[in-house]
Parts: sequence; C-alpha cells; structure tokens
Amino acid sequence: MSLMSQSIASGILIGGLYALMSLGMSLNWGVLKIINLAHFSFILLSAYVTYQLASVYGWDPFLAIIVTVPLFALGGMALQWAFERFRISEFESLLLTFGLFIIFESLATSVWSADFRRIDSAANPYASSSLTIGPISLSIPTLSAFVLAIGIAFGTRYLLEQTHFGRAVRALAHDREIAGAFGVNHRTVSMQLAGLAGAYAALAGVFIAMSSSLFPGIAVEWFGIVFSVVILGGLGSTMGTLLAGVIIGTVGAIATVVWGPSTAPLVVFLILIATLLFKPDGLLGAKGGI
Amino acid sequence: MTTTNRNTSLITLAFALVLWFMPSVRETLDFPVFFLLFGYSLFFWIAQASSWNTFTGFSGYFSFGQGAFFGAGVYSVAVLAVKRDWPLLFTFLVGGLVAAVIGLIIGVVVFRLRKLRGEIFALMTLAVAFVMASVARVSPAIDGGQGVPVNTVELPEFLGDFPTMIFRLGLIVATFAVITAQSVQRSRLGWGLFSIRDDEDVAETLGVPTFRFKITALLLTAFIAGISGAIHSLQIGYVTIEDVFSIRVPLFVILMSILGGTKHWMGPVVGAVVVVTLNDRLNRAGFQEISDLITGGLLILMIVAVKEGLYLRMRARPLRTAVGFTAGLVIGFALGALDESLITLVAYGLGIAVLAVMLPLSWFARSEPAVTDDVEEVASHG
Repeated sequence: MSLMSQSIASGILIGGLYALMSLGMSLNWGVLKIINLAHFSFILLSAYVTYQLASVYGWDPFLAIIVTVPLFALGGMALQWAFERFRISEFESLLLTFGLFIIFESLATSVWSADFRRIDSAANPYASSSLTIGPISLSIPTLSAFVLAIGIAFGTRYLLEQTHFGRAVRALAHDREIAGAFGVNHRTVSMQLAGLAGAYAALAGVFIAMSSSLFPGIAVEWFGIVFSVVILGGLGSTMGTLLAGVIIGTVGAIATVVWGPSTAPLVVFLILIATLLFKPDGLLGAKGGI
Repeated sequence: MTTTNRNTSLITLAFALVLWFMPSVRETLDFPVFFLLFGYSLFFWIAQASSWNTFTGFSGYFSFGQGAFFGAGVYSVAVLAVKRDWPLLFTFLVGGLVAAVIGLIIGVVVFRLRKLRGEIFALMTLAVAFVMASVARVSPAIDGGQGVPVNTVELPEFLGDFPTMIFRLGLIVATFAVITAQSVQRSRLGWGLFSIRDDEDVAETLGVPTFRFKITALLLTAFIAGISGAIHSLQIGYVTIEDVFSIRVPLFVILMSILGGTKHWMGPVVGAVVVVTLNDRLNRAGFQEISDLITGGLLILMIVAVKEGLYLRMRARPLRTAVGFTAGLVIGFALGALDESLITLVAYGLGIAVLAVMLPLSWFARSEPAVTDDVEEVASHG
C-alpha cells in the first residue's frame, strides 16, 4: 500500500512537470494556431544548456534559469516572427516545426553526442535530496517543478483574465480579424505570447536536466505525454492543462505499479484517444475558453 | 490536358517489366549487386510515399500513421513467419490485410466525428502508432521488447538469391502502389477526394459520399504500406520496436511527398527518388550527421518556398530542369563521380536539377508563365 501511495504522490508531482512542459504548447496551439513541435526542441536544448552550465561551469542548476528563460523566450519570439512573415497556416506549422525539430535534434547530437548525459551529483545536490512526509518521500526537483507549475498556471490565468495583454490574447484566440479591427496589434501580441511559451519550455528543460538523464532522442518520447496533456486539458486552457498534467502523471504512475512500467505509455495513449473521441474540447469545456 | 490516363499505367507497367529483367542481365552488363539493393530501396520508398499520398495527398487528411501500417506489415511477418512458421509469401498478404484492418478501425471510428479533421486527425494517427508500439512491447506473443530475428526465415528458392528476390518483390509492390495512385487520381474516387481536400462540407452537400471515399482511400494506403512493410522485414533482418515504430518512416514519406508534391501521383515518386539517392550518397560519403540536417532543412524550404512541390515545378520549367540535370552530370563527371559509381553521378544531376528549379522564379522567369495554384489544380486533375 505504501508503494501505491508513494507512486501516486510521485505521479502527481511529475504531473506538475508535464503541465509545465505542455502549457506553452497549449497556448501556442490554442491562441496562435501554431502547432509548435520546436517547443520540444526548446525543452531539450534548455535541458542541455542547464547540463552544460552545471556540469562544465559548476553553476547551481537553478541559476541556469537566468540564461535559458531569456534565451528561449527570444527563440519563441523569433519563430513566431518567421511564421507571421511567411504566413504559415496551422497545418504548415506542424510540418515546418517538424523540420526544425529534426534540425535541433541533430544539432544536439553533434554538440552533446547521442550518449546519456546527466549532471554530476556534485554539481546537482538536488537530484538526490528529497522531502519526507511520513512514509512518502518527494524528490526536490519534481517538487519544485510542481510548485512552479501551479504558480505559473495561476499566474498565466491571472495574466489572461485580468490584464490588457490577456484581453488582447483572448480576443485574438476568438477572432483574429475582429480583434484587429478593435485595435489589437496581433503581431506584437503573438510575439509576446510566443515568448512566454518559449520561457515555459526553458523552465521545463531546467527541471528535466535536474531530475533525469538526457539524450537527443528523449524529445520524441515527450510527444505522447505532452500531446495527451494538451488535448485532455483543452487547447489554450491553463487550468485544464494543469489538471490534465496531474491526471496523466497519476494514471501513468498507477499503471506502472499495477501492470508494470511498459504499460504506462499505453494507458496514456488510450486516454489521449478516448479524449479525442469523446471530449475533443478538453476537460474543462469549450475551445478557446481560456 | 490529360496527364493521367490508362496509357500512363500501361507505360508504368512496361517500365516495370523492363526493370524486372535487371537482375537477369546483371552479369552480362556487369554492374554491381549493390545496384539491386539500391533499386529495392527506391522501390520501398516509392511504394510507401505513393501509398501515403493516395490518402493524405489527395484527401488532405494529414496522417502520421504510416508507421502503424508499415509496422503492422513488419510484425505480421515477424510473428507469423518466424514464430509460427507460416509460409512467407502468404504472410506478406496477411501483413497487408492486418494493416488494412487497422486502417478500417481508425477510419470507422475517426471519420464519424466531424471534429477530428485537420491537425487533430494527424495527432490521432500518431497516437495509434504509439499505442501499437506499446502493445507490441508488452506482449511477448508479438515482440515483448526483445526484437525478432527475421533473417532466420527460409526464403522460397524459386525467387532466386536475396538481392534478386528483394529487388523483384519491391518492384511488384512499388508498381502496384504507383498504378493504384494513378487509377485513384483519374477515377471518381480521386475527384471525390480532391473535393474533400478543397472543402469537405461543400463536397458532402454536393453528394460526394465522403465517408465511403475516405475509408476506401485509407484502406488502399494501409494495405500497400502493410505489404511493403512485410517485405521490408526481410531487408531489416532483425526487427525491433524502436526501429520499426520510430518516427523515421512517417517522417520520410511526408518529406518525400511534400518535396515531390502531393497533388499528383508523380510527386511522391520524384520525391522518393531524389531523397533516397541524395541520402544514400551522403551516407556513403560519411555525412550521416548532416543528412538529417538536410532532410529537415529541405522540408522547411519546401513549405516556405515551393508549396506545389518539385514535380509540378519541374513540369512547369522543363528547360531549367534539363539544364540543371545536365550541368549536374557534367560537374559530377568532372569531379570524377563516375569512378565511384553511376549512382553518384546521377545524384549530382538530381541535386543540381533540384536546386535549379527551387531558385526563386524571378531570377530567370521573364519568359516563363507564372504558375498559379489554380492552374496546377486543373492540370493535375485533368
């Protein structure tokens, strides 16, 4: 029983990380109508940059945030600029970023090789430390990712609901042309939002570098999880994404305990397919209801 | 202007018949065995890309599910021929049928839902491939995570030695795939699929049986991809889940079709020939790392700059294509490509020809008519 409660607790926490990985994807897709596979590359590269700073230059892994967040926020903005410049449709964005994804993966391979890389435990004291509550121990990197994911989800929700920027974003998500007629500059707003999404990818990458081993092919393995979370949560829905991340994390953990680790992806994909079939707008209802 | 009629298929068939005798005249003409294996590689990708395009290119429903159909074929041979000792040739057919059944299930479930169009459909097909990989991994009857050695299976003797056999099997499937694509393109089915691509709601209102057409096309795609995968299991030798269900097959069929153009059956063929030839030469020259880089870069370039694809571009600018190809051959010859292999020389020709037609129109376009999308549509439907 304690094994079960331990796994559920870890599943919930890892769900926070999933939500963090998926939030930017969801905003890009729901609001900007861009399916950005390069989002996965940003997470991967951010993780590698964190690894590089911590292992080679001896930085505290948390400090890597001050480098990766601005870097990938800029990356997101640059991409969005290019999408607008070449008038990329939703469909083409999927293909185009697929191309980018392959390029980034081969770049990562040429810089960091295809071998497993992990931050040395000397440079990363957090990996082995954990918080123990009764019979359950919670690893520090995933716990911090979880807390941060909650903070970011609520922060983004506040941003979208209460600020001028948020109202512009929601107007865009609803109807780009009408929003333009009412004075929303969609270029500026899109680039800001894409920058935000890039920053979220950077944060997710930092926590992944702290908690697991890296290799270039790992990014493909995130596809299933992240898409399941994004679809289950509903495109562009911050609270939905958070909830979906936790659900997917928990269900995966339970499946691992009950049927063995290799069944976890199967269960996740079945959830994805069921969502697409029965609740294509996501857990919390209508599309665009940010 | 009719570009695809019965004669096209007869010509294709005649061409295939000539190729059929390639292995027989190998010793007389004295070319290396490698040519046969390279030929198989071309046939395999032509079959995969053409089959993908028959559904996706014509209907506009973007599928990442090619890996699922291909994998169903590969594992049909691995399970039935290797583990159960079924006759090999029969398992090829079973592989196609298993893939078709999977296609049927996907179609019946997905096409009933209006919401599952566009990119959601794409993700759905990606998920199906992932699910199949997971099922194969956890079930020992299929794979169980260990991999299956297909190279132990006994090959039927009347098909000749391995290179001859795989060359001819590949040729049969590729010919079948191309002729299927041609027949679909000129049939009512093809017109229906084109109308679905343009506007499905309007098509339905006008009485196009969209559900039936989509299912039919998806079944054809899955069946061909399955048979082709089943034969390919012999080429792989030792099949593993990681290789079979990797993103490589869907990625390459998408790349080839987009590169060549999705609106005409010839597009995927051109795309497959260009990508396979250049990739093979780059790998042989020791540039494995940059071949992925080039693959990704080409995909981006095509989407941004050459939306109609190489084939329609080449047809619109035959002079430039011919000059580019000839220039490539000359350059390759001067650089001594022929000392290495005839394929290297052809690769130079193809590479330069592709670059030549990709260059912006305005560079030499003064005398060439501007090709709009509408004209292409008419041309490709004719």
